Amino acid sequence: MAHMTNPLATPDQIFHRSSLDSLPTELRDAIFFSTQCLTQAAGILLQLPQSVTAQANVLLARFWLIEPMMSHEFSDVSAATVYLVAKIGPCPCTPRDLSNVYAYLLSGSSTFLSSPGNSPPKNIPDDYYQSETSYQAFHSRILSLEHLILCSLSFDTTVSLPHPLAITYLQSMDFLHIPKERIARRVVEYLNTALLSPQMLYLTTQPNGLAVAAIYNAAKDVGAKMPECEWWEVFDVDREDLGFLVVGMRSLEGWVEGMKGKEGVLGKRKRGGMITRKEVREILGRDTLPQEEEDPELVMARRMDEKMREIEGGAA
Amino acid sequence: MSASESQEAAGRPQSPRSFAIAHQRPRSSYVGCSKIADYEVLGKLGEGTFGEVHRARSRKTGALVALKKIIMHNEKDGFPITALREIKLLKLLSHPNILRLEDMAVEHPPKSADKRKRPIMYMVTPYMDHDLSGLLDNPSVTFTEPQIKCYMQQLLQGLEYLHANRILHRDMKAANLLINNKGILQIADFGLARHYEGETPQPGRGGGEGKRDYTSLVVTRWYRPPELLMHLKRYTTAIDLWGVGCVFGEMLVGKPILTGESDGHQLEIIFDLCGTPTNETMPGWKNLPGAEVLSPRPRQGNLGQRFREYGSGAISLLRELLKLDWKSRINAHDALQHPYFRNPPYPAKPEELPSFEESHELDRRKFHDRRAALPPAPKGGTVGRGPNNDGDGYRNSGGPGGRGYPRNNNNSSSNNSRNFGGPAPAPDERVPAWHRDTRLPPRPPPPADYGNGRDRAPRGGGGGNRQDVDTYIPSYDRDAPRRDDRRRDDRRDRGGPGDRRRGDYDDRTRSNRTRSRSRSPLPPRDRDRDRDRDRDRPPRDGPPHPR
Repeated sequence: MAHMTNPLATPDQIFHRSSLDSLPTELRDAIFFSTQCLTQAAGILLQLPQSVTAQANVLLARFWLIEPMMSHEFSDVSAATVYLVAKIGPCPCTPRDLSNVYAYLLSGSSTFLSSPGNSPPKNIPDDYYQSETSYQAFHSRILSLEHLILCSLSFDTTVSLPHPLAITYLQSMDFLHIPKERIARRVVEYLNTALLSPQMLYLTTQPNGLAVAAIYNAAKDVGAKMPECEWWEVFDVDREDLGFLVVGMRSLEGWVEGMKGKEGVLGKRKRGGMITRKEVREILGRDTLPQEEEDPELVMARRMDEKMREIEGGAA
Repeated sequence: MSASESQEAAGRPQSPRSFAIAHQRPRSSYVGCSKIADYEVLGKLGEGTFGEVHRARSRKTGALVALKKIIMHNEKDGFPITALREIKLLKLLSHPNILRLEDMAVEHPPKSADKRKRPIMYMVTPYMDHDLSGLLDNPSVTFTEPQIKCYMQQLLQGLEYLHANRILHRDMKAANLLINNKGILQIADFGLARHYEGETPQPGRGGGEGKRDYTSLVVTRWYRPPELLMHLKRYTTAIDLWGVGCVFGEMLVGKPILTGESDGHQLEIIFDLCGTPTNETMPGWKNLPGAEVLSPRPRQGNLGQRFREYGSGAISLLRELLKLDWKSRINAHDALQHPYFRNPPYPAKPEELPSFEESHELDRRKFHDRRAALPPAPKGGTVGRGPNNDGDGYRNSGGPGGRGYPRNNNNSSSNNSRNFGGPAPAPDERVPAWHRDTRLPPRPPPPADYGNGRDRAPRGGGGGNRQDVDTYIPSYDRDAPRRDDRRRDDRRDRGGPGDRRRGDYDDRTRSNRTRSRSRSPLPPRDRDRDRDRDRDRPPRDGPPHPR
C-alpha cells in the first residue's frame, strides 16, 4: 500500500505555514499558484511527461510547508524540484536544458502569465540568452536547493499520483456510460488543476480521495448519471471529505479569476510574467506591513466552517 | 473514516475544527533529516566507493545503527542518482529480510568552510553484526546445515518479496547480505537495484519473459549469471537467483565458488561447473551478442562431483539455482518449496542460531594488511597470469563489489598505499575481534568437521601487494607452516578428478580471492554507473516511477 499513499501534511504544519514567513495569505497563495504554473510550463517545454511534472508540483508544495517561501527565489525552487524529480524518473533533464527553459519562461519574450488581452510579446532572443556565468550560477543554485529539498523532505521523494487510480475507478464504473474520452479528460483536468491550488489538496488528501472527487466533479460537468448509492465509500472516501474536495477543486477557477482581476494580487501588478522575490518585497514595502495577522487557527477554523456550510448547502 | 461516521451517528456532527484536531495526521509524516549530532559515531566499519560506513549509537533511542556516508561523486549532476534510487526504493520496501532505512542524517560543513560546500548525507540503517562474506571469512565460524538452510530461506523470502514488488536487485552477493546475532539475514545495498517491467515471477514459471532491455553491466563478476556475461539485455529476475546459487555454494564451501578473473574466465569456470551450454541446457544462447565468439571445449559440468559431500538435496537446489537456462532457472517462490528445506536436518529458527563475534570486511582487510606488510617468502608456485589478464578493471577497485554496507572497497590509490604502508589501525578503529588477542593463532587448526566441507581455506595469501599478488604465495613467519599445511590440505581436498582444471587455478584463485574481497573483482562501479546513466537518457533505462 505504500505505493498508493502519500505522507500528508499535519494540520500543525499547515497552521504554522504563515508563521514561517510574514507574508499575507493572499500574496502567499498568489506566489504558490504562480510557481506551480511555472513548474507546469517548464515541464511542457522540457517535454516531460505530466506524471513527472505533477510530482514536482507536489514536492514543491511539501517543501514550502517546511521552508519559508521567501528564503529562495521562487523560480529556482520550481526548477530544482523539476530537476530532482526528472532525475529520479525515466526522463532526466540536463541542467543546461533546465537553465534555458527557465531563462526563457522568466524573460519578457514568453507569454507565461501575461494577460490574455495584451498582444503577444515580441520574441527577443537576447532576453533569454544564458551566458556561461549565469548558467553556472543557476546550476549551483539548483544543486544546493536540490540538497536542501532532499534534506527537508528527509529524502522522501515518492509521490503517488491519483491519476492512475482515477482511471481504474472510472473503468470499474463503466465510465458512467459517457464516452470515455470525454469523462476521462475532464477527470484529468480536475486532477491537474488541483495541483495548482493553494489549498494544497495533494498534501492533505490521499490519492483515492482526489480521484473520487475529480470523478464526481467531472460527472457533474458532463451530466453523467452517477450511481444512486454512496458509491464513494467503495473507494474509501467518506462524504465529508468528498464534499470538501469537490468544493476545493471547483473553487480554484473563481479564485484565480479574482486574483487576476483588478483587485487581485496578480491583477494589481504592473507587468505580467513570473512573480519574483524582489517584486514581493516591493509590494510588502508599498503596503507597509500587513495588518495584524489573524490567529492562523482561527482563520483556518473559520474557513472550514464556511466550507462545511457550502457542502451542506450543496448537498441539500 | 469510520470515526466520522460514528460521530454522525451519535448525533450532532463535531465542529470541523475539533474534527480536524481529532484527526491529526501523525506528526512524523514530514520530518526532515536528523542531524549527525543525533548520533554518537563509534568507529568505521567499512569503506566503499559509495561511501564510508560507520557504526554509531542513536542519542535518542540508544540503538546501534550503521551510518553510510554518501559520497558526492559527480558534483555536476547534483545528488548521486544511484543513491537517490536506493533511498527511494528502500523507503518503499518493508520486509524483515530487507535492510530497513531508518533515517537520513545530515552533517553540515562548518560555517567557516567554503560556502559552496554542501552538507554530507548519511543513510541510517540498523546495525547488523556481520556481512555474510565477512562471517564466512571468520575462521572461528562454522555453519551447520540447519543454519545454512535458515539463511537460505530468509534470503529467498527477501528476494521473493523484492521480485513480487517488481524490483531487480542486480548486485546479489555474500557481501551484500547482512546478518545479526539474532540470526536474521537482510538483503542490503540497493545501489544497482531498479524497477522492472513485466510480469512478476509466477510459481513454476521461473523468471518469466523479459519485457525490455536493461544495461547488462550489473552484478559483481563472481556472482554474474552466464546470460549477463553473454550480454543478454532483456533479462529477468532470474539474474538474482543465479547470485543466490553462488551464495548458497559459498555458504556450503566456505568461500566464493566462482571466482573468475575476467569475464571470459568467469564463463569458463561456469562451464566447468555447469557444463557447456547446448540448445537444451541454454536455449537461445548462440544468439546472445556475447556468445558469438565463444566456442567452449565441451564438458559435462562437475557440480555433482564438487558438491557431493553436501548431499543430494543441496546439489539439487544448487542445480536449479545455477541453471544456465535463465528461462527455466527456479524463481524465489519455487525455491522456497524445494525439498531441501523440507527434509531433515530442518532449517534452524533464527533465534536458535549461535551468535558470533562481529565480522566485517574491514576487519579482514586490516588483518590482511598487517600480514601483507610482512616480508613475503620467495616461496610458492608461480601461477602465470599475464599482465593482460587484469586489464579488465579488477585493479580498479571501484567496482560494484565495493559499495555494500559493511564492506571495504576503497579506491585503488588509497588501497595501495594501505597495502604498501601497512599502517597500524588508528586507535579509534576497530580491531577485529578474533585478532585482538595476539596469542591466538591467526589460523585455528582445521575445524573438526574440516573434511566435511567446512573448508576454511586460508585467506589472506597475497594480501594485496600488487606486483606479486599472483606470483607468490606468501608465507608469514610463524604461522607459515600451518598455512602451508592448510594449503596442501586444501589442494588435496579439491583435487577430485572433476576438479583438475580448477586445481590449475588454485593458487591464483585463492590469492586473488583475498585481495579481491577487499577490492572488488570487477567493473569499476563508476564506469558502470556512468553507463547506467547514459542508458538512462532516452530511450531510457531509468526506473519507472514506483507507485
